[in-house]
Amino acid sequence: MLAAGLGMPWLAATVLAALDGRRRWVGWLAVGALAAGLAAVVLLGLEVLREGPVTMVPGGWPAGVGIRLRADSLGVLFAALSLVVLLAALSYEVIGGVDSRTFPAVVLFMAAGLTGLFLTGDVFSFYVFFEISMISAYVLTAYGEARQAAAGFIFAVVNLLGSFLFLIGVASLYHVTGTLEMEVIATRIAEVEANTAVLIAVAIFVAFGVKLGLFPFHFWLPAVYIGSRPATATILSGALANIGSYGVLRFGADVLSPELRFGATVILVLGAASILYGALQAVSRRSAGEVLAYSTIGQVGYVLLALGIGGPVGFGAAVLYAVVNALNKTLLFLANGLRGWLVGGAFAVGAFSVVGVPPTAGFFGKVALFQAGIEARSGVLVGLVFLGGALSFIYMFQIYQHDFWRGERTEEPITPGNRALVAGLAAILVGLGLWPEPLLAVSSAAAESLR
Amino acid sequence: MILVISVLIAVMFGAGAYLMLKSDLIRVVIGMVLVSNAACVTLMAAGIGRGAAPIHPLEGPVSDPLVQAMTLTALVIGFAVTALLLSLAYRVYVSLETVDLDELSRAEVRREEELEREEVSV
Repeated sequence: MLAAGLGMPWLAATVLAALDGRRRWVGWLAVGALAAGLAAVVLLGLEVLREGPVTMVPGGWPAGVGIRLRADSLGVLFAALSLVVLLAALSYEVIGGVDSRTFPAVVLFMAAGLTGLFLTGDVFSFYVFFEISMISAYVLTAYGEARQAAAGFIFAVVNLLGSFLFLIGVASLYHVTGTLEMEVIATRIAEVEANTAVLIAVAIFVAFGVKLGLFPFHFWLPAVYIGSRPATATILSGALANIGSYGVLRFGADVLSPELRFGATVILVLGAASILYGALQAVSRRSAGEVLAYSTIGQVGYVLLALGIGGPVGFGAAVLYAVVNALNKTLLFLANGLRGWLVGGAFAVGAFSVVGVPPTAGFFGKVALFQAGIEARSGVLVGLVFLGGALSFIYMFQIYQHDFWRGERTEEPITPGNRALVAGLAAILVGLGLWPEPLLAVSSAAAESLR
Repeated sequence: MILVISVLIAVMFGAGAYLMLKSDLIRVVIGMVLVSNAACVTLMAAGIGRGAAPIHPLEGPVSDPLVQAMTLTALVIGFAVTALLLSLAYRVYVSLETVDLDELSRAEVRREEELEREEVSV
């Protein structure tokens, strides 16, 4: 199952790269391959939940020599989530009509990169998969008008700098621990001199901060999101941002846990700054794309806040919030390209979920955050989560009112299929809000896999 | 030896970072190349040591083959990314006829004004 989940999108991507993605059947082939990959990952996830982590050394190498693939509940959860988001975005684009030759193939390459990244137990292959998905992202963002090419260029340069910082972090980890396996690094890092370990942790944290668009590293984010097509913006904020969330969780809570405890205050402050900055900027913007872009900066702040609080409750909240946020953003960015009463309703569901109003999935994300805040005995953090929620209520309904009530038309070709897709996503969010047990169980299992 | 390599990495990374702050896109790409190669040298330096080439059958002390394999992979990735960045810069040049970021923003403003004027005349 591990090999199938990883191999399926990869194989399909290489085949599709040779075909013309504008043809309808090619698009649907890509959707089919992605759905098959998702099915394999879900089956793998069920196996992991029943029997614990699954490991595999491809290529017939003995264990300890070959590169190890390792699926634990955290990795599988993020892999499944990213594939769901990619599937939604790809279906949206295929239904509406793809107008780029390479779009389906690039999305599948990104799917392969993301699945590999979440399911590897080796830091260097993590970097390689990370680059595969980032390069797909550079191609996706640059696609479009000339102005978008310039925004894509800046996006690529900033993120490449982040990637190379991460590579330097990997090299230093190898130097001080003599291994590339995450589990072994996690045990050996305790013996490393504290100053060195903290420096490495900072390099890795900055790399993921750039991917996430955290407050001091956010400057590339709005320009890229605003000019992107709805499907591309969805992929960036729903699937690609997962790299950052997963990265800070995996490296912070698992591999470099002593350094996370050391830097918890810094992480809390950066998270708080992201929440406030994102929310205040979003409130002052008028166009929906801009508001959603700044909202993305704010939302990742919550993940960081929960991570900074730490402990099982904090990590559980971080995982849950990252999942809910990815689903919210998928729905909102896709709905933003369409109009009509059905889409308006779906957008309202997404807005409620961002704010954290029941019966949407976002409610449980916020509840988990409040729990984590109470666990940390910090009134300030609870107040901050509340303030962030109140501000998000203002900016979400500003755009709802402005764009959906006044009924301005967009030039986007509207197809019933896409409306149904968006409504389906909204139904998933409400469904998870009404019956949250599976999601809560999976996210607490994922948090338990972090020590 | 370690000191020399450290200084080399520092100079490469610093020069790369300096070039990346320029407004000319081609210089930014060159800066990117320098930074990526600084990362590759760091990778090599992480497992550097004296020894024979690690070819089977092993005789005596060999140098660490893992860092060499990793550096090779990182080099290829860096090469691919450079090609992609250059093609992006070319696309920007073809459509906006400049590779200077300051000029780019000016060109954009001009284009928008033209579009507005066209709309008014229509």
